[in-house]
Amino acid sequence: MRNRFLKTELLKGIAATLLGLAIIFPIYYAFVASFFTIQDFSLYPPKIFITSLNWQNYIRAFKESLLFRFMLNSLFIGIVGSTLRMGVAILAAFAVAQLDFKGRNFLFFLILGTMMLPPDALIIENYLTISKLGLVDTYLGIMSIYLLAPTQMFMLRQGFKSIPKTYREVASIDGCGDLRFLISVAIPMSRSLILTLWLHSFVTIWNTYLWPLLVTNKPYMRTVQVGITMLGYTESLDYGPIFAAITLLVLPSVIIFLVLRKRIVSGIASGTIVG
Amino acid sequence: MTLKRISSKDIAKKALEDYHTVHMKALSLNQKRSLKAYLYLLPALILAYVFSYRPFARTVVNSLSLVSFSGKIVEFVGLENFQKLFSDKNFIIGLTNTFKFAILFVPLNLVFCLVAALLVYKKRRFNAFNETLFILPMAVAMSSAALIFKALFNPTIGVINYFFSISIKWFDDPWWAMFTLVILGIWMAVGLDFLLLLGALRSVPKQLIEAAQMEGANALSTFFRVQLPLISPTILFVVITRLRDSMLLSGPVMVLTGGGPQRSTQTLVYQMYLDGFVAGNYSRGSAIGVVVFFLTFLLILLAFRSEKRRVFYQ
Repeated sequence: MRNRFLKTELLKGIAATLLGLAIIFPIYYAFVASFFTIQDFSLYPPKIFITSLNWQNYIRAFKESLLFRFMLNSLFIGIVGSTLRMGVAILAAFAVAQLDFKGRNFLFFLILGTMMLPPDALIIENYLTISKLGLVDTYLGIMSIYLLAPTQMFMLRQGFKSIPKTYREVASIDGCGDLRFLISVAIPMSRSLILTLWLHSFVTIWNTYLWPLLVTNKPYMRTVQVGITMLGYTESLDYGPIFAAITLLVLPSVIIFLVLRKRIVSGIASGTIVG
Repeated sequence: MTLKRISSKDIAKKALEDYHTVHMKALSLNQKRSLKAYLYLLPALILAYVFSYRPFARTVVNSLSLVSFSGKIVEFVGLENFQKLFSDKNFIIGLTNTFKFAILFVPLNLVFCLVAALLVYKKRRFNAFNETLFILPMAVAMSSAALIFKALFNPTIGVINYFFSISIKWFDDPWWAMFTLVILGIWMAVGLDFLLLLGALRSVPKQLIEAAQMEGANALSTFFRVQLPLISPTILFVVITRLRDSMLLSGPVMVLTGGGPQRSTQTLVYQMYLDGFVAGNYSRGSAIGVVVFFLTFLLILLAFRSEKRRVFYQ
């Protein structure tokens, strides 16, 4: 009985590992193929191992395209965008969690209500707004629609609510205003939540595709996710430089992901990171 | 020295005045404070108006009007845009494609993620390793993933055909092209959905499973009679969010198949992009947008309804 049980467990383990290897195969292949020459791609049976470190694809990806500029664009938009996004969310969440004023719940639900309107279905009108504001091909234009994050606001509100109101009253008697209280008490107290949400925002903005595609026309304003689809090697089956670019994008995030694995898993389990 | 006679009336008057000034001060302080609170909310409210409510309202209005190429409303036409839309073959194709994708993707994804979760359900060291493999696709962005799959499925250089000893021209056949989109969709969803289902499975009380096994239930019936009903809230969540994602599918279509062959993978949002953005037909684009809103809204309502009925809560 026990023997049979162990056997099925072992079989399940092997099946899971095989399935897992199949799942990560595309990532593995992108990495391996970034070292292939154009001749390697046409070999039969296809090559799936590295035989020599050929850096030509990496050099070409940087030389023949604006890849470096795309990366800088995405990095800037990711950092500034998620910081602004956290700022907006923190201010609103703090007001709703700690201050008393008329219409508080109504205004809060008004902001949360935007979750019912999927941004992908609003892109055309949003594009018209951005173009009227003269923000096409600007960083602010690309960031604009990501600056409001209702789910993050909701989570921050939960975080700020856990700060006892007496703290603010005591601080207020000592002449500490609300803004000062927010900056020197509330934010430091919710540090780890804010950091998690910031990272999640960064990944969201970094990975986004459709909107940056719409609001950028000039090649040097493109984000990296849009840029790599326009490198133009796919038609000629010259995939090497594309895989080099993909590897440069995927490798850091895989490493970050492995380092933060426990945090991400528990974040999903507790509902901090969904969507 | 003259003694001024102070009447009780004066005292009362003075006290009242004092009370008023103090009260007014407090009141104005309070008002100032709540005014500040509105200031904290102002950026969020402005963003909600400019990038959510206003474009939504405009999309609805545009869908009921004739709109010029510059985005100005020419005249109100009622439901004419929708009549045109639903009698247009291409739109119906887009709608069916979207549903086709959803019907294939949502159940396949659910079964795949459930199987993956069941395989590593018991907490073991090698299972922790397998878990990491399963969630790694989460680290890859959509456009990178789509480009990798484009190469893997390529009939000339792709390794998929070689591995399975087949020679399918994936992107030339309507069904296979849709299938590649589904595979890519599952690959991008597996990390999150697997984790959600695994968490749910692990939270099922052990005693219940042991009790079922004592009664002689095999693994299969334990799963269907005990575990499945208990994790149904998570399953419902996964199904509804993925249905919603299916209704909004566009990015993978643009990178992987470009809507082809012969519109067979054109989805609603992709058509909205083509009509409204590329062709500048705002009336039609907005009408498609309203259809998308309607579908996603319907799903949210459905989620609330079915939550009340079928789902088990502990």
